[in-house]
Amino acid sequence: MEETKSLQLKRTPLYPYHKKVKAKLVNFSGWEMPIEYEGILKETKNCRNNCALFDVSHMGEIEIKGKNAHSFIQYLTTNNVDRLENHSLQYNLFINEKATILDDFMLYHLGKNHFLCVVNASNKDKIVNWLYRNKTSSVEIEDKSDSTALLSLQGPYAEKIMEKISPNIKEIKYVHFIYTMIAGFECLVSRSGYTGEDGFELYCPNKNASILWELLLDLGKNFSLSPAGLGARDVLRIEAGYPLYGHEIDESTNPIEASLGWAVKVKEKDFIGKEKMLNTLKAPASRKRIGFVMEEKGVARQGYAIYDTKNNCIGTVTSGTYSPNLNKFIGMGYINSSSIENPIYIEIRGKLLRARIDKFPFIKINTKR
Amino acid sequence: MGEIKFTKTHEWARINNDIATAGITDHAQSELGDIVFVELPSVGDEVTQNSQCATVESTKAASEVYAPLSGKIDEINEELVNNPQLINESPFDKGWMFKIKIKDRTELDNLMDEATYKEFIEKESH
Repeated sequence: MEETKSLQLKRTPLYPYHKKVKAKLVNFSGWEMPIEYEGILKETKNCRNNCALFDVSHMGEIEIKGKNAHSFIQYLTTNNVDRLENHSLQYNLFINEKATILDDFMLYHLGKNHFLCVVNASNKDKIVNWLYRNKTSSVEIEDKSDSTALLSLQGPYAEKIMEKISPNIKEIKYVHFIYTMIAGFECLVSRSGYTGEDGFELYCPNKNASILWELLLDLGKNFSLSPAGLGARDVLRIEAGYPLYGHEIDESTNPIEASLGWAVKVKEKDFIGKEKMLNTLKAPASRKRIGFVMEEKGVARQGYAIYDTKNNCIGTVTSGTYSPNLNKFIGMGYINSSSIENPIYIEIRGKLLRARIDKFPFIKINTKR
Repeated sequence: MGEIKFTKTHEWARINNDIATAGITDHAQSELGDIVFVELPSVGDEVTQNSQCATVESTKAASEVYAPLSGKIDEINEELVNNPQLINESPFDKGWMFKIKIKDRTELDNLMDEATYKEFIEKESH
């Protein structure tokens, strides 16, 4: 996340708010986004203990519809779209013929032959191109990213705050959504998120985003709701053990080694990359995504080497942070499958610091399953 | 309270007789964000002006801290080991990092006074 002051950066409709409250803004995938408002640690804790509101309008929204939309999206993704109930969403992957990951995304079933793909900002253009390249007849693709805002309300009080908008919000089940009127306009509200907490994601047209943002902050006043930036979002997702594109997954990783095999349904469907995926599945993965907790203090960062007790390099760190909720330094990385044994050592500025491989998630997941 | 001097790399040094107490500036801590880990030199280490002698890790990045003056490390702030956020909360006081026994006072001429440092950061951010 390198900081720049380039004028070409895209801005979300909430940019004036971020600027007004003097949030720290950074270039994130070409978007000028708030990384923090009052401090990453404070915002991270507030999300787990109370509630936090995130502007994640940089995410890409691609709508797919038409007579062949269902079979099209089924063929381009690894999870089983047939399993997706109307008005529900699923975690899914776009992979290529080499069975490596093009993007991980949330697939919303808006209606019969009507879908919404919510993709990473960094991959949005690539995925739009990929969709067009593989498009069949009677499939329409519409990139709505630049006109759609996405607000994410996450934390134990999220339901209480949303209830003030509409009592029926409570009825939304995990990974399901409704359309509801808020302040006179329609929003898509799903019970989902990227923090491991209960929460909601709200999609609305750009022009309504500020009203929705201010309304949520106002309704959340008695629940210690505060805005939180991408910095807190990153710590929260690491605590929850969720991968992030560009860190744990990219076009050099396959879903099996990334521990995302559960989202690849080789026995249920045909899809791009299936042949290669079947080959991959014949042999055990040579490396595995693991989580670790530092036993000696230090921040493990992307690219740092991982060693075994005999000083052999056995892997690489993909993400690392200090977790204020656990008061521990935690991280993720890839380790050779034959070397998954404790302790491990992370090389930080020339020193080998002891760490222990630990199961995901690092925190208790509180989503309403 | 002695005279306070600044480096271009955003360290401060407060001079009291032959001891310089050093840390990172308010501007530096604010740019870095929440500090979660500090690696300090050891007492007795010889450091030279502008050479790396400590590291601060924030939630965002690791940053090197350079010695504002040459000399021997006289004392370190052990409090920071368990409470690195003291640097955010009180960069010029409780968040001090180390004390140097000054070796060469002429090196003070390489440092900025407060007014010059303020101008320096103004320019840097424009």
